[in-house]
Amino acid sequence: MAAGSMVGRTLSDRLILVAVIVLGIVMVAPIVWALGLSLKTNAELMVDTSSVLHAPYTLQNYWDLVIGSPVFRWFVNSMIVSLGMTIGVLVLSSLAGYGFARLEFPGRDIIFVLVLFGLAVPEQAVIIPRHQLFSELGLHNTYIGLILPGLSTSFGVFLMTQYFRAIPREVDEAAMLDNATRFQVFWRVLLPMTLPAQATLGIYTFLHAWNDYWWPLISGTNAQMYTVTVGIASTQINFAESAGLGFLMAQAIFAALPILIVYVFFQKYIVRAVSGGAT
Amino acid sequence: MAELEIINVSKTFGQSKVIDNVSLTVGAKEFVVFLGPSGCGKSTLLRMIAGLETVDEGEIRIGGKRVDALPPGERGVAMVFQHYALYPHMTVRENMSFGLRNVKIAPAEIDRRVAAAAKMLEIEHLLQRKPAQISGGQRQRVAIGRAIVKEPHLFLFDEPLSNLDAALRVRTRLEIAQLHQRVDAAMIFVTHDQIEAMTLAHRIVVMNNQRIEQIGTPMEVYSRPATAFVAGFVGTPCMNFAPVEITGASPFVTLRLPDGSMLETRVDRKALPEGGRFKLGVRAESVRPCATGEGNCSGTVKFVERLGDRTLVYVLLSDGTTIVAEDAGMSRIAIADAVGLRFDSAGVHLFDDVRGYHAAEGA
Ligand SMILES: Nc1ncnc2c1ncn2[C@@H]1O[C@H](COP(=O)(O)OP(=O)(O)O)[C@@H](O)[C@H]1O
Ligand SMILES: [Mg+2]
Repeated sequence: MAAGSMVGRTLSDRLILVAVIVLGIVMVAPIVWALGLSLKTNAELMVDTSSVLHAPYTLQNYWDLVIGSPVFRWFVNSMIVSLGMTIGVLVLSSLAGYGFARLEFPGRDIIFVLVLFGLAVPEQAVIIPRHQLFSELGLHNTYIGLILPGLSTSFGVFLMTQYFRAIPREVDEAAMLDNATRFQVFWRVLLPMTLPAQATLGIYTFLHAWNDYWWPLISGTNAQMYTVTVGIASTQINFAESAGLGFLMAQAIFAALPILIVYVFFQKYIVRAVSGGAT
Repeated sequence: MAELEIINVSKTFGQSKVIDNVSLTVGAKEFVVFLGPSGCGKSTLLRMIAGLETVDEGEIRIGGKRVDALPPGERGVAMVFQHYALYPHMTVRENMSFGLRNVKIAPAEIDRRVAAAAKMLEIEHLLQRKPAQISGGQRQRVAIGRAIVKEPHLFLFDEPLSNLDAALRVRTRLEIAQLHQRVDAAMIFVTHDQIEAMTLAHRIVVMNNQRIEQIGTPMEVYSRPATAFVAGFVGTPCMNFAPVEITGASPFVTLRLPDGSMLETRVDRKALPEGGRFKLGVRAESVRPCATGEGNCSGTVKFVERLGDRTLVYVLLSDGTTIVAEDAGMSRIAIADAVGLRFDSAGVHLFDDVRGYHAAEGA
């Protein structure tokens, strides 16, 4: 019986492995293709895209991108917006989470429920009023305008609240007996204990902000304020355009670079984020 | 001089009173144990002393100074929590020095104190580790070390042994007793375990239902329990109780047990209040099995517990009352034997049957 289950397990393990490999190829193939295209001259690609499969390769497209195109500016915009949003979300969610978990104030539980309702409100439902509000306040085409909506995150507040709640109060109390002020308890004792949640939330927020397309499309109407997603899309004049294909792919690869880096370095936390903090 | 004075202190959570008008004095260098069943308010009282709970009524003084409005850090006490409450992201060394750094003690002095405490607790080799990298018993030592380095005049322990396995619990209990010998401080130790209380305490404060039932040395609490609750809570096996009728003339009363048999005592009739209803309390060690017809009453053996050095014999009287008696370790008594029971008159206690207070005892 033991032997039978061993065979069963290795068999199912193999099936899973095959599935993972197939899925991996499906995911990676377009990226590799794009990378290949980005390394070819546009003239060559106009003739035949299958020239990707053989030399000569060139970095000319990337050179053009850094020197003469606005992509670099958009990249910087995206960086500012994504990092700003990430830092803002971490600070606000941590403070709010600590407040909900540890402070006693009237209406706390009701406010928390209202925050949770936020999880159920899709962006589509609020984007038009938000647009009107921001245009009246003159916030369109500013970094603040791009960052601000992302800072109110029910998910982040919820995550951090749960995380702070899971820390035993004895830890706060031990710190109080150790003469820590309330701020020191938060800053030096509790906050460091939430680092795994901070990492998860930070990565999640950064990836989201970097990939976001819709709000930057509405708010950043000035080409100087495009984020990289909006900017690249704006260079695509018509559908399935083949002129400048290599350059376009270089842009795409360039834009995806931070995401790739984040995935490579923070894989552990991303797995945790998608598995709902179960690991 | 009194290290700690608790004066008419009360505490209410919402509607329910958790501490009801409690007063207590703890001397310098004294070891006091709060003993009582779960939920009786021991932790709440301890946390009020530490400043982790507010005091609704009354006052608390430490070292002569009123502290009940001071924050926890300014009371000069150190506390060891049940679940250790170490800071998981800090090394053992950082855990122990955190409180000292907060009050700006010179780094050299911090190092000296941490080194001394680590040596005493034999955790020197763990100083660079994080709490997750050490065992439960070692964590408890670190928690104790974190308290020691503050050099407080009052240590507070809230059930610090309850998360340890049996062997480690006994060892740590001894170490806490030794620690008390070495440091110049009073200690208050909360537990629901009467063995811990008996072995550690100079004085035991027995608590039940928000109140103090008795304050006394371990032997006072054991041999002259102030209430039926204390008598039942302290000591294994639990004291035998039976409702009795008082008969007999002076000077000594005779008790009629529930099965009708008579027990002559050495309790002075005049010591008993008139007209009360009483119950007999007697420990197993004061009841000896004997041949039927020879003792004060008789019954059949329901159950025998052999403990090696002694044997506990559970005897069913004819009316259904069970009395636990103690026999020698080599006892030959077996289940279903008919035995007599002889009561040692010095071990007889009478408790008020309604309010539970100790009314009289045999001589
Ligand atoms: N923060 C609190 N809020 C409401 N009730 C509490 C609180 N802390 C303790 N209690 C109640 O007070 C009583 C005494 O609790 P506690 O002092 O922890 O008992 P013990 O330590 O003796 O087991 C219990 O009934 C408990 O439910
Ligand atoms: Mg308790």
